[in-house]
Amino acid sequence: MNPKRLIRSAAAGVAVLLAAGALTACGPAANGTGTADGGKALDWKLTTKTAAAGGDIDGFTFANYSEPYSLDYAYAFDYSDNQVLSNVCESLLRLNPDFTLTPSLAEKFEHPTPVTWVYTIRDGVTFHDGTPLTADDVVASLSRHLDPAVGSSWYSVYQNVASIVKTGDRQVTVTMNTPDSQFNLSMGGSAGVVESAATLKEKGQDYGNSTGLVNCTGPFSLTSWKSGESITLTRYDGYWDKDLRAKAGEVKFVFMGDSTARVNALKSGDVDGSWQIPIEAVPQLRASGKGDALFAPSTAVGDLVISDLKGPLGDKRVRKALLLAMDRKGMLQAAARGVGEVTDVLTTESVWGDASDAARTAAFDDITSYQQNVAEAKKLVEEAGATGKTLTYVTAPIGSDFAVISQATAAAAQAIGLKLKIKSVSPAAYTALFSDPSAREGVDLFYTSWYLSSPDALEMYSVLRTGEFSNYGGWSNPEYDRIANEAIATDDPAARSELTAELQQITNEELPWLPLFEGPIPLFLGKRITGLQPSMAFLYYPWAATIGRR
Amino acid sequence: MRTARRVAGKLAGLLLTLFLASLLVFFSRFVVPGDPVRFLLRGRKPSPEAVAQVTAQYGLDLPPWQQYLKWVGGMLHGDFGRSLQYRQDVSTVLGERLPVTLMLVVMAGLIIALVGLMLGAVAALNRGRAWDRIILIGLTVLGAIPSFVGSIVLIAVFSVQLGWFPTFGSGDGFLDMVYHLVLPSIALGIVFIVLVGKVTRSAMVEQLTREHVEVATSRGLTPWAVLRRHVLRNSLGPILTVSGVLVAGLIVASTIVEAAFGIAGVGSLLVQSVDRLDFPVVQAIVLLVVTAFVVMNAVVDILEPWIDPRSAAGAGAR
Repeated sequence: MNPKRLIRSAAAGVAVLLAAGALTACGPAANGTGTADGGKALDWKLTTKTAAAGGDIDGFTFANYSEPYSLDYAYAFDYSDNQVLSNVCESLLRLNPDFTLTPSLAEKFEHPTPVTWVYTIRDGVTFHDGTPLTADDVVASLSRHLDPAVGSSWYSVYQNVASIVKTGDRQVTVTMNTPDSQFNLSMGGSAGVVESAATLKEKGQDYGNSTGLVNCTGPFSLTSWKSGESITLTRYDGYWDKDLRAKAGEVKFVFMGDSTARVNALKSGDVDGSWQIPIEAVPQLRASGKGDALFAPSTAVGDLVISDLKGPLGDKRVRKALLLAMDRKGMLQAAARGVGEVTDVLTTESVWGDASDAARTAAFDDITSYQQNVAEAKKLVEEAGATGKTLTYVTAPIGSDFAVISQATAAAAQAIGLKLKIKSVSPAAYTALFSDPSAREGVDLFYTSWYLSSPDALEMYSVLRTGEFSNYGGWSNPEYDRIANEAIATDDPAARSELTAELQQITNEELPWLPLFEGPIPLFLGKRITGLQPSMAFLYYPWAATIGRR
Repeated sequence: MRTARRVAGKLAGLLLTLFLASLLVFFSRFVVPGDPVRFLLRGRKPSPEAVAQVTAQYGLDLPPWQQYLKWVGGMLHGDFGRSLQYRQDVSTVLGERLPVTLMLVVMAGLIIALVGLMLGAVAALNRGRAWDRIILIGLTVLGAIPSFVGSIVLIAVFSVQLGWFPTFGSGDGFLDMVYHLVLPSIALGIVFIVLVGKVTRSAMVEQLTREHVEVATSRGLTPWAVLRRHVLRNSLGPILTVSGVLVAGLIVASTIVEAAFGIAGVGSLLVQSVDRLDFPVVQAIVLLVVTAFVVMNAVVDILEPWIDPRSAAGAGAR
């Protein structure tokens, strides 16, 4: 994505991510600070750059809403894990703050045949223990995702991989069963992380936990993990990329599940910063004078997932009616103090960086806009003969936004002659909706905030193909599947983006999920530090390296 | 001989209680909805082989009674199984957090004992007078403050406003840990101070009106000697009984305080593990609390006859 496009997407505004657990929403124990008075809209704008650091700093502290489960890259698949790991472990490619992909541990990659990806491994890179990076390390690291005993969270990236072999002194070739453009695009995330093969072997089952730690190539090394309390990273002096040499000698992450405690720590200056601060806390944090509350561009969209297409929502007219009946602007106001934008599609403009202009127009302009229209919605429900039918909506006490959205959906359903039963379950039971088909039985819809880990909108649309694991409602459209498969096999970014735009149009029309709004990631940066480039890419990019003294 | 038999009886009862508790703790997980393997895979798309492998790795493919035997057998060797959320031995996970919680409980215990006994004694000695009323009303008000509210108020006043104490964490090294745990132990102790204070007061009031106290006073003993030998000593029974309950209660109540102060202790671990379906950790902690509870009560039972020989006389009947 070039800077101009970034500004465009910035102007379009990007996604609200209050509950932050995203994919599985097992995330932060929420936004407990203050009552959601739904009151005044916040004054906000996207920030993609803060002033460059004035120089080195001994260290700084960041608060993380949850302790990472594991820093094993194969399991790192959530905000809390990845925001730490991104500074320690590097991937074959690098996902930059502007959502572009550039070479990292692979100094270049080639695509000689539709089914092969050839990576040339960079020379002169060392792991934190001083040993040099080799092609064997790459093969060992990537192959773990295919090992059933590991049970990698990133297996879906590797589902089409036939083999990963060393084909030269500094060369690794990945062969696919079918052409798959998405594989290489995912090499900028955790799926492309390279760890020392010797360390993997030595640590075995304890690799990546608080006793085994990790040994990667990033600007910081993981020096201590005080279980339940903090993780400390230390600058790695042998780091290969001079441009990203760490400006801080030490970065400490403290785990603070309680959002009030986190806000207090920021207000008192005990902690220098935090990603994903509760939106309600922004005014008091600003008033504290201890730093800046900023909003980073995101790739997340808040959606209502339709999980039962055999019930009343199986009729497209009812899905459309429900979306038409919703006051999404009001919901955004109440759930996130108006920070964000209502959207009619499932992706943000930020992941359309390589798209052609035609694709972007098709994807964001030539679509149906679902302005609130209760009368028309009521008519659609009547036509579908669904009046008086009951829907079951599952939610969990995760954040105040979850409560707001469930109530607003109930109000919308009632306004058009449907009944909506809200079932509140524990966060763990809510998480199970995303993995366990039996947990979704009898459930018509639930809310999620879905983020993308690669800079391509196709990542979103490939999961809605027939039979996909995350196609929770079992939605099926042969024409859609055909285009999606063609897009996945298409290497040219512009051509692929045009196919993806068609997918966006189909889902905008068919509404397998109901798009609600997108919004930025709220974060806090204390007055001691600066140099951060705020972006969703903090999950994969060594964002802490550029932070130094103000 | 009689004492030995009594102690042996108590110990047998203790072991039986622990055995029954272990059954309850272990098998209750089969009643809870949710599949631990699904948690391990955390909503990601797994390969079917991975599901099978992960199930086997954690022994979840065995029939429940075999899992139980394996669990109990392992525990007797100090092996509590493997945490699902941390992919680490439960003993390691617990071992890292136990010292903080013990420290917190000890500090809270000291505060409770000192403040609670003192307030109770002062109230009893001034029974019916202004100080008694002030203390009673004060205790009632304190007792109505839940620990999470207490925590928030303490942090807001002493950490954020005054900046005297840190807002979170447990510090490094002994002294730093004590410093970090001052506010949490106060927050934890408040409710129990009320309990101990009130029990102390009523036990002492009861003793103070007894004839033997009046006799002792009339014999010209100093007030302090009367208080120490005739009042306090006789009041110790109920206070001790309450203390037994208190220690286990403190461990349970620490969940809330630890969460509020961002302390990595056993309490916050328990809450987090329940939420994350990390059964091995939950089972280990619950059993630990049950054990602490049962052992404390056994100790109180065994000690009681020494403090109050009357209860030893009736021990056979109990």
